[in-house]
Amino acid sequence: MSFARRELPTIILTACGVLMLLAFFTPFEAFTTIKGTLTSWTIVVAATSTWLGFAYMSYAQYRMYQRNPTRIQLIYFITPFAFFSLFLIVGISFPGNVSSPQYLWLLSSIYQQVGATIYAVMFFTLASSAYRTFTVASIESIALLLGGVIYTLRQIPLFPVFAPWLVPVGEWILLVPNVGGGRGAVICAAMAALVVGIRTLWGKEMTMVEA
Amino acid sequence: MKVNFWEILGAWVGAFFVISVMTMLWKDNPYFRFGQQAIIGATIAHMVLFNMKNVINMALIPISKGQLLLIIPFILGLMTYTRLLKDYAWIAKYPTSVLVGVGVGVMIAGTLRGQIIDQVKATVMDVFAATTATDTINGVIIAVGTVTAITFWIFTREHTGALGMSAKIGRVFLMISLGANWAGEEVWYLTQMIGRLIFLIEVFIKGALLGIA
Amino acid sequence: MQGKGPPRSLWERLGEIDYRWLYALSLVLMVIPILRPFGLPTVVSEPTKGYYKAIVDLPPGSVVAVSFGSSLALLDEQEAQFIATWKVYFQHDLKVIFYCTYADSMIILNEELDKIVKPESYGKAYGVDYVRLPYAPLGESGEAAFATNIRGVYPTDIYGTPLDEIPMMKDINDHRGIDLIHFQYTSCTDVEFVIRQWVVPYGKKAIITTLGCCGPMAAPYYPTQIKGFLSGSGMGTELEVLSGNPGPGAVMSDAKNLGILGLLLFLLLGNISYIGKKFGGKG
Repeated sequence: MSFARRELPTIILTACGVLMLLAFFTPFEAFTTIKGTLTSWTIVVAATSTWLGFAYMSYAQYRMYQRNPTRIQLIYFITPFAFFSLFLIVGISFPGNVSSPQYLWLLSSIYQQVGATIYAVMFFTLASSAYRTFTVASIESIALLLGGVIYTLRQIPLFPVFAPWLVPVGEWILLVPNVGGGRGAVICAAMAALVVGIRTLWGKEMTMVEA
Repeated sequence: MKVNFWEILGAWVGAFFVISVMTMLWKDNPYFRFGQQAIIGATIAHMVLFNMKNVINMALIPISKGQLLLIIPFILGLMTYTRLLKDYAWIAKYPTSVLVGVGVGVMIAGTLRGQIIDQVKATVMDVFAATTATDTINGVIIAVGTVTAITFWIFTREHTGALGMSAKIGRVFLMISLGANWAGEEVWYLTQMIGRLIFLIEVFIKGALLGIA
Repeated sequence: MQGKGPPRSLWERLGEIDYRWLYALSLVLMVIPILRPFGLPTVVSEPTKGYYKAIVDLPPGSVVAVSFGSSLALLDEQEAQFIATWKVYFQHDLKVIFYCTYADSMIILNEELDKIVKPESYGKAYGVDYVRLPYAPLGESGEAAFATNIRGVYPTDIYGTPLDEIPMMKDINDHRGIDLIHFQYTSCTDVEFVIRQWVVPYGKKAIITTLGCCGPMAAPYYPTQIKGFLSGSGMGTELEVLSGNPGPGAVMSDAKNLGILGLLLFLLLGNISYIGKKFGGKG
């Protein structure tokens, strides 16, 4: 039983990974076909497991209510289920399903508005954090401040009218020092990903599977 | 221009949710929480609807037409639900192993060349393939930034001496990168906020309240 | 947020202004240009020029695959990019395959492509000049699957028509039938998908459109691996200007003019406070 619980999943993981690598590094069509098949299977697996999201949402909401069983928390508990049911029922009941005018109305009035506004209010939270952290306290923070402010001003049409130098300097920041720092980060992150990936295929790194 | 009942109702409902989420700027309150909880349920329903359709089109219909091999990923997908049962959660390792194995395999293949070799090559070429003095200087700056940023991520040796100086320079380049990222993010959120204000002004106030097209 | 205790210096008070003043000031400043547009010019940047050039330099009859993964919640930021780009596609003799990688993408295509861009108004016919494939949760593995076997991922188009029955798709089933890959997405790490699954294995030309914060993360790959990128609605506006296709970007760009001033004021006050506390002592 231990083999079925530990070793066999590792063997499957390694086999799938190696097949993908063989498709890349060898000229044999058979491996390309296997790669095409396995990668399209991952889409079916992901789509089939979609109700897990509902299960985890239900559990998380229940735990929140359990920790604080007040009336207002009960309303918070019921709300996601109510909207889940509303969207699901409307999405399957009307002709056109998710393309029906009724479902699109729900999307544009609720889903789009809440989603967009949550991002919108981040402007203020980011601004208030910058108020505290973007100070001239050190060379690094000055670099952060200058890089941030100049590139911000370059993107707003008003400022280049009064300070035309913002355009070339802003672009220079994006395409020169940002690329220097960014490339270093990309290379290091890629090396780390490569190491973790190889360890995973080797069976040494099973956290992704165990979780 | 006449607007119909559903458009007006949509404007009112939308305005309610926009304003309820914006109230969190004052302080955390039930209206914000209500909007937050609403979108959790709505988003999950939205994903479930689309993915259910995918399962039907990509698996069930082809299986019914004779493509029996697709039973395998369908069953693997069903096996993921066993993680909800404590005694059988180990069964969910099988579909996860396939997903992780395939994902890691396709990732490794492209990472070595695309994100390491080609990036190093581009850094070198920025210096030696430059045609003007400005491009050469920029290329040198990029190369210095790349090398020093890499040294910043060396944590197996203490950052003293030459390594320390290099890591400090690398940190400056990384801070400039972070600043540029912050700038992009701030302007993005500003755009989102302006979008919501345009909705409130044009659609809600002018359209629904005042009846101006 | 004022606290009790001994009187605080001017420098300390400058550094502890209630954030809600910032919020209120910013909101007021954002509303002004919405009500009274400024109409200021937009300067086109190098990545936008590269992006546009990558499209218009394609030989007639080239096929563009658009991996479309945007969200309704991010339409404010990306709408200008989509509409301007799609208009450029249909103004040129190109074939376009739209495939959706996010649930909202299909709805955005219905609303924006069919009702605003209107390919038929450019003389384009569905199935001959462009095709729309439905949503599938691709991820990186799915992109690899699409590049290897399109019919394995999308057996039919959004109308349920098998791809073999669509004239445009008759000879296209993998990367070999695609000349330009275009990623339109909302995640900063998706640029790596296009590099690893299209550029490295097949040497495909690639362009991307993404959010404003992801542009700096895409810059290291420009111009060697991606030929151009649009990040944020500002660059969408630049494309509108460059291609001569006015759209929603101009309104957005104009409205940003004053909204940032509140933030700049607070950054200035925060730094004055810091410098004052460091060098000014008790002020």
